[in-house]
Amino acid sequence: MSDQPLFSVRNPWFGISVGVTAAIAVLSAVAGLIWLPLAQPDLKLAGVWDAICSAAGVPRAAVQEASIKPDFKTSNVVMTSEMLTKADQVSIGRGATLAQRCAICHGPQGVSDAHSPNLAGQFAAVTYKELNDFKTGARVSVVMSPFAAAMSDQDMKDVAAYYAFLPRVPSNSLDTGRPAPAVVVTGAPMRNIPPCGSCHGDIDNKAGSPWLGGQSAVYIKAQIEAFASGARRNDISEQMRNIARQMTAEEIDQVAHYYEAQP
Amino acid sequence: MATETDHGPGEAVAARIERRWATLSIVIVGVLVGMAAYIGIHQATMPQGRVETADPKTLHLSGEFIESNLGSEMQADGSVTVRAIGQQYSFTPQCIVVPAETPITFRATSADVVHGFLIEGTNINTMLVPGYVTDLPVRFKTPGDHVMPCQEFCGIGHQGMWGKVKVVDKSKFRDMAAAKRRLTCVD
Repeated sequence: MSDQPLFSVRNPWFGISVGVTAAIAVLSAVAGLIWLPLAQPDLKLAGVWDAICSAAGVPRAAVQEASIKPDFKTSNVVMTSEMLTKADQVSIGRGATLAQRCAICHGPQGVSDAHSPNLAGQFAAVTYKELNDFKTGARVSVVMSPFAAAMSDQDMKDVAAYYAFLPRVPSNSLDTGRPAPAVVVTGAPMRNIPPCGSCHGDIDNKAGSPWLGGQSAVYIKAQIEAFASGARRNDISEQMRNIARQMTAEEIDQVAHYYEAQP
Repeated sequence: MATETDHGPGEAVAARIERRWATLSIVIVGVLVGMAAYIGIHQATMPQGRVETADPKTLHLSGEFIESNLGSEMQADGSVTVRAIGQQYSFTPQCIVVPAETPITFRATSADVVHGFLIEGTNINTMLVPGYVTDLPVRFKTPGDHVMPCQEFCGIGHQGMWGKVKVVDKSKFRDMAAAKRRLTCVD
């Protein structure tokens, strides 16, 4: 036997083993690519080729069925974690000029005691998104909506870049010694409340979530309550309503006063 | 030069043993393939039949995953389709309501990173991968409440990402579906 070539069609061992292996492969392929997909009633395949493609994992866009449209405006901003993170000097300069009209409520330095949000040092993506939502009507404010209505996309980017460029100024209520409430530190996992800082910048920042330090407690409280009641719905896919709904009145109060006292 | 016959009984024994072992391994391979096929047909462990894509950045703009289209939908054939998304750090809808003893299709995806979709007390356990739609046929035997924790580390707030699933009586669900086209149990 030693003089016979091992890999030869005349070697019956070789022929049989290759043949059996190939047969198993073909049978498995037929079973896996054609028979099993066709055996799935939910799959609604168009034919053998469709079965092969779907079993092989050829991606295709989800079939668009008629979906229920919302009876209110939702945010149409496409958020990405890298958006508006690169400061552009020209944009900041233009924004500084445009921001003069914001100063009456938001302060000349982006800080005020008027219970309107302090914008100095706010993430640019946040200011941009809120302006956009005021413009489209996804967020409604008697004061802000008319201002945003006249702004172009570039205006909003410029104003956002300017306020992101301004240094954060601690509020008059600064008290860094104030102990953090439990809901800020650990959240309440069983109620679907993660720690606030996992989105709002103290630990990590989810694009679109504002920096809360130094904001007016009145404003923070009003917004969480608006999210909880559904009066405010411009958070994409309910990302904040889901959290706010689960918070108790006491927790909302604690959070508002804690963040007001932060830098 | 040696020929096959020169080896006498030794050669024959070796060939017989080799044939038996080869047969045994073929049988093992055959059993494994058959087992995979059987489980695929008769148990709910079939991998997803189709790969469908959905852009995670624009889920909220159009398509089946817009906010107002999420929740449970009663289909004409009596089955129920549930659409949901996972995002940092919640599921929307936060509370999913489904009927017992009814074929249900979960269609879900992620708006940002990989999330886990696991319903406690059932064998429902899959992943929500950004860019792809997870499509899972399931059936709940009895009414009851289940928790649905994200079981795939998705970021620093991962441990706070919990949803709920409420399985209700079939007729109760039908009454609910008559009043509203997309159902959730979010209060």
